Amino acid sequence: MKKPPDLLPLTPPVFHILLALADEERHGYGIMQDVARQTNDSLQLGPGTLYGCLKRMLAAGLVEESEERPDPELDDERRRYYRMTALGRSTVKAEASRLAGAVSAAKVKLGLAGGK
Amino acid sequence: MNDSASIRVVCRLYAAMLYGYPPEFRLRYGVEMQQFFHDRCRELFRAHAGSGVWLRFGLRTVADWIGSTTRERRIPKLVQEWTVTLLMFLFVTTTMVQAYVVPTGSMEGNILVGDHMLVDKVGFENGGSNWSSYVPPHRDVKRGDIIAFRYPEDVRQTFVKRVIGLPSDRIHLENKHVIRNGQTLDEPYARYTIPGIDDYRDNFPTAPDFYTLGGGRAMFANNVQGGEVIVPPKTLFVLGDNRDNSLDSRYWGFVPDNYLVGKPLVIYWSFDAPTNDYVDWNLRHVEDVALHFFSKTRWERMLTHPRSQAAQ
Repeated sequence: MKKPPDLLPLTPPVFHILLALADEERHGYGIMQDVARQTNDSLQLGPGTLYGCLKRMLAAGLVEESEERPDPELDDERRRYYRMTALGRSTVKAEASRLAGAVSAAKVKLGLAGGK
Repeated sequence: MNDSASIRVVCRLYAAMLYGYPPEFRLRYGVEMQQFFHDRCRELFRAHAGSGVWLRFGLRTVADWIGSTTRERRIPKLVQEWTVTLLMFLFVTTTMVQAYVVPTGSMEGNILVGDHMLVDKVGFENGGSNWSSYVPPHRDVKRGDIIAFRYPEDVRQTFVKRVIGLPSDRIHLENKHVIRNGQTLDEPYARYTIPGIDDYRDNFPTAPDFYTLGGGRAMFANNVQGGEVIVPPKTLFVLGDNRDNSLDSRYWGFVPDNYLVGKPLVIYWSFDAPTNDYVDWNLRHVEDVALHFFSKTRWERMLTHPRSQAAQ
């Protein structure tokens, strides 16, 4: 089993997909919508990018498939849901603190620390 | 579910695009990707998205498809980029522009032998591309425009001349001067290189003679009235700027408007070589270019634009 540090840094799509799954299980379209919300629409995943990422994340053990069930808000069609694994959670945490470290370094260097 | 027919069509199109992915990927994720795509279309449809939003969505989907199919198929980025470049090149060169070398001096003064130019095929309403009416900046042909068109006597050749007459214009020449609809034109772009008057050429239209070609004979038979040519509907009457040495509408008649290719856009290279070298490809010309590329290139003409110019 891989440890979180081996997987860092994450690409932006993978990072945001994991964040989308942090609070609840979602199906593919739900992931895309949540990622768009997180990023103010600056990252809009297309189906190819999303499922390509999910394929690699499943292989790395970051996410796992949940059961198929209909989404009450969309329609009665059955959809496959995805859920984050424990490894996924620790990985996204590690990535978030890595990014936080990078951001604080940038603030110091650019004189942004303290005020706006 | 009650979708509009158009959503069903684009979804079917997307389902076909899934065949670009490797089979195992398509079989595992294809259904979910179709669901995803369908949800997105339905969301845009319900939000009454404008055509700009749909266009952006379409471009994004294509970009997503190109990026992910090449990634899943493990096609190197380099190959992907060159393939996209090549496809765009083919699209542009078949529908939007055409490269053209000027072989003769009939427009001498404004366009020289050896000018290599790109012709814009979508700039005119009736341009050489069927797409022209969908590409926003387009307009009708005006008098004074320089145009590229298929030579009616031999459609394999492309000619470049200046539009003198539009449909229903009455035209004749008196001592080299064009008189259109009763008014003598002052033509700053015209060149006269051979002294003396040739009645056929300079007092057109006189009777057809030895030099009149098929289309010209038809013009003399059907479109000359009271010593003037009357330009019929859906055709153009064109003359070369080098008036004394130009095979133009005086000799072969009118240009049907569907023979129009477009307007010269930019001269990307101008190389000083004789007409023969541009009519028949020959090894001597290749040698000439290789040896004299720098000295015989007319640098001052590069990236210039042959302008349309109205007669006074």
